[in-house]
Amino acid sequence: MLRYLTRRVIAAVVLVAVVSSGALLLTRLAPGDFASELFGSGASAQSIARERARYGLDRPVAAQYVDWLARAARFDFGVSLVYHRPVVELVRQRAANTAVLALVALLVATLIGLPAGIITGSRRRGVVPSTIRGLSIVLLSLPSLITSLVFVLIAARTGWVPTGGMGSAGAWEGGTLAGLADLARHLPLPALAIALPLAAMIERVQSQSLGDVLKMPFALATLARGVPRGRLVWRDAFRPAVGPVAAIYGFVLGSLLSGSFVVEVVTAWPGLGRLMYDALRARDLYLVAGCAAAGSIFLAGGSLLSDLVQAWADPRLRQPEDGKRAGEAA
Amino acid sequence: MVAAAILSGACRSDGPRTGGTAPVKALVSSVRAEPRTFNRYSGRDSILEVVTDLMQDRLVRIDRRTQELEPRLAESWTTSADGLTCTVKLRQGITFSDGAPFTSADVTFAFRAIYDEKTGSALGESMRVDGKPLAVSAPDPSTVVVRFPSPFGPGIRLLDNLAILPRHKLEGALNAGALAKAWDLSTPPAEIVGLGPFVLKAYQPGQRLVFERNPRYWCTDARGGRLPKLDRLTLEIMPDQNTELLALETGQIDFTQTEVRPEDYATLKRAADQKKISLVDLGVGLDADSFWLNLRPNRAATARRPWLLRAELRRAISHAVDRKAFADTVFLGAAVPVYGPITPGNQRWYSPDLPRFDYDPAAARRLLAGLGLTDRDGDGVLADRAGTTAGFTIVTVRGSTALERGAAFIAQELKKIGLAVEVAPLDVGGVIDRVERGDYDAVYFRFLTTDLDPALNIELWISSGSAHIWNPSQTKPATDWERQIDSLMARQIATLDMAQRKALFDQVQRIVAEQLPMIQFAAPRISLAMSTRVAGATPALLRPAILWNPDTLDVR
Repeated sequence: MLRYLTRRVIAAVVLVAVVSSGALLLTRLAPGDFASELFGSGASAQSIARERARYGLDRPVAAQYVDWLARAARFDFGVSLVYHRPVVELVRQRAANTAVLALVALLVATLIGLPAGIITGSRRRGVVPSTIRGLSIVLLSLPSLITSLVFVLIAARTGWVPTGGMGSAGAWEGGTLAGLADLARHLPLPALAIALPLAAMIERVQSQSLGDVLKMPFALATLARGVPRGRLVWRDAFRPAVGPVAAIYGFVLGSLLSGSFVVEVVTAWPGLGRLMYDALRARDLYLVAGCAAAGSIFLAGGSLLSDLVQAWADPRLRQPEDGKRAGEAA
Repeated sequence: MVAAAILSGACRSDGPRTGGTAPVKALVSSVRAEPRTFNRYSGRDSILEVVTDLMQDRLVRIDRRTQELEPRLAESWTTSADGLTCTVKLRQGITFSDGAPFTSADVTFAFRAIYDEKTGSALGESMRVDGKPLAVSAPDPSTVVVRFPSPFGPGIRLLDNLAILPRHKLEGALNAGALAKAWDLSTPPAEIVGLGPFVLKAYQPGQRLVFERNPRYWCTDARGGRLPKLDRLTLEIMPDQNTELLALETGQIDFTQTEVRPEDYATLKRAADQKKISLVDLGVGLDADSFWLNLRPNRAATARRPWLLRAELRRAISHAVDRKAFADTVFLGAAVPVYGPITPGNQRWYSPDLPRFDYDPAAARRLLAGLGLTDRDGDGVLADRAGTTAGFTIVTVRGSTALERGAAFIAQELKKIGLAVEVAPLDVGGVIDRVERGDYDAVYFRFLTTDLDPALNIELWISSGSAHIWNPSQTKPATDWERQIDSLMARQIATLDMAQRKALFDQVQRIVAEQLPMIQFAAPRISLAMSTRVAGATPALLRPAILWNPDTLDVR
């Protein structure tokens, strides 16, 4: 297991290096740069050239990349061109906001998606399963931009929750409880915008997986012995059926922690996705690379988590090498 | 000696200040992005300008509605007969928000800071005459002498941009060569002091900026009442314009920093009819989208297609586009046809009597035929004598609805007269990159007006200017008409008499209208939406439309 974990950590480091390097190089090589926005503002060509020199944008790409890589190896991702602050500091600040949103969204998606998947997976016919399936397909088909805007519209028309932001001005001045209550009022809109399509995905995967398990010989035999279907589903079929969901869970968590820039922009949530979006628009290459690195760290972590959960769900995966040796001996 | 002593009419630094226990007056506005710094000397983004208007003040200010210069920290000023020296008397008894006194040393510090090489201030770039910095001295604590390197028509209007930041807080950073990094977003709000109507109470990254009334603000209204009238002003950071509008409709914010998009007008009009918001029509805007052909000589493209450089082609393009239909299609009717870069919105400099190459497709075809561009094989597409197809590609900004719609409309109109025109939408960085490298045939783009006085946009007009977009940074004028413009603008800048300056600039506009190095088709009408709670707003076309004058904002 230790060797397995070591291999996964090395793979994660490579992934982070490749993704962040790719982000930096692509941003650097794309037409235009951080100084381009001076164009049309009345700034002279000399002034624009000076701005480029000041940020090192006039240096060869290779030299710039090597410098950045040397620093990044020491976890120094440079200073944001836009904000003049260390990239690590900016990313850490926004990643915390995204984590709050991601965890709540994942919890909501699980609480909706998993039971819904069990209902549709255990019953093929009926109004309820058909309705759930239909809703899932609609939610999966809708782009997150539309989902977010619909929720913002509902919030605006009903006034039930704020249309955006992460909190009200001065909310935390009334104490921790008041601050948390205010945060809870702001969470439903972005959390649901992320959670509902995710719940639909979990429902679809869980439904398919449970349907497959219920067709297995052990399940048919159990039913034939007169065990009620509900008991079979919850006692015997649920655990083997949760494996595929667990397999995607880590990736989902990783991608959620990387930030959903569409939802964060539309609902004005100050998260990592929005930071990346702003950085890309301004061509702040160090911040882009830092955000990409954070995203890939979360993805790699999520993928590792997936493997661990799968191993929990399926005992055969815990000791693959021992199992293989036992098979060979036989 | 010409003396121009101007006393404050709207703003006074004396008189009683009322306290009291009235309820907190607060308004909420939105901004689409957050500032990148709180330091006006190192930053240059538009949100920083808004923040600076709230927290800082300047010697003089251009009244955005009347375009007249008004005194702020300067109580009066006199200009020498040769226009080279301006002696400014400062108001006395003014303090920064932390109680430190404001003196002429703060003004000299401001100039030292913006001209500092290490700071690399964008203000230092704009605060020059003929490329040379202004010389500033302070003979006593309440007097500043500004010396221009050569006669300069706009005079101290130039200082409208210069916020006076506190020397006692920033001089250490300047001396250490670190002013560019001072007052970044991690600076505690209490450290950021100013002479403006508000102080920063809190900055929540990605969420909002909260400003509270500066209790030491120097200005009172004409009756001695306290200013600003608001106790608190919050700027919510809302990156998405759709969300911003919904928040406005539902009363979560009171006004935005952006004008109403044509496609949102009907929705907001309904809200206005229901008395949820009020719509303010500011008239014709200052910015008309510009179309221009690449007039740099010696390009491979122009060697093959020399007619791309000819004025007849540009006139034919102007004749080919139905400006009324353009306004109706691109701006959904909320625009007026225009024939030059200075729109009717710029009342001081607009010239209504310019030559017009109005909609006349037949005239366009005649002009093209004169260039040898005719339909040689009956396919409806023109070609020159060498058989080269008469066409070009228009580069524009992808994702900007108005620009994409405008470029498509122009291409469609030009196809009707036989020009094979394609549109290439690129992201904004791509467009700018192509323009900087001169790697394009034609561009359709929008420049935002930052100063109305043409002398303050000199880089656009003169042939050596880097913003002379159709053929920038020329070592000597490429054409006679550009030489004429150079000469007229040199005189226009150096002339102190406003009427003469206007007459000279009218001549420049006439040449531009005849030669059409840039072609404008329509200028949008500008409307602002704000909640019915907002009182005392003085909206104007120049940005920031409402917050340029935050003092008088009030709650109804």
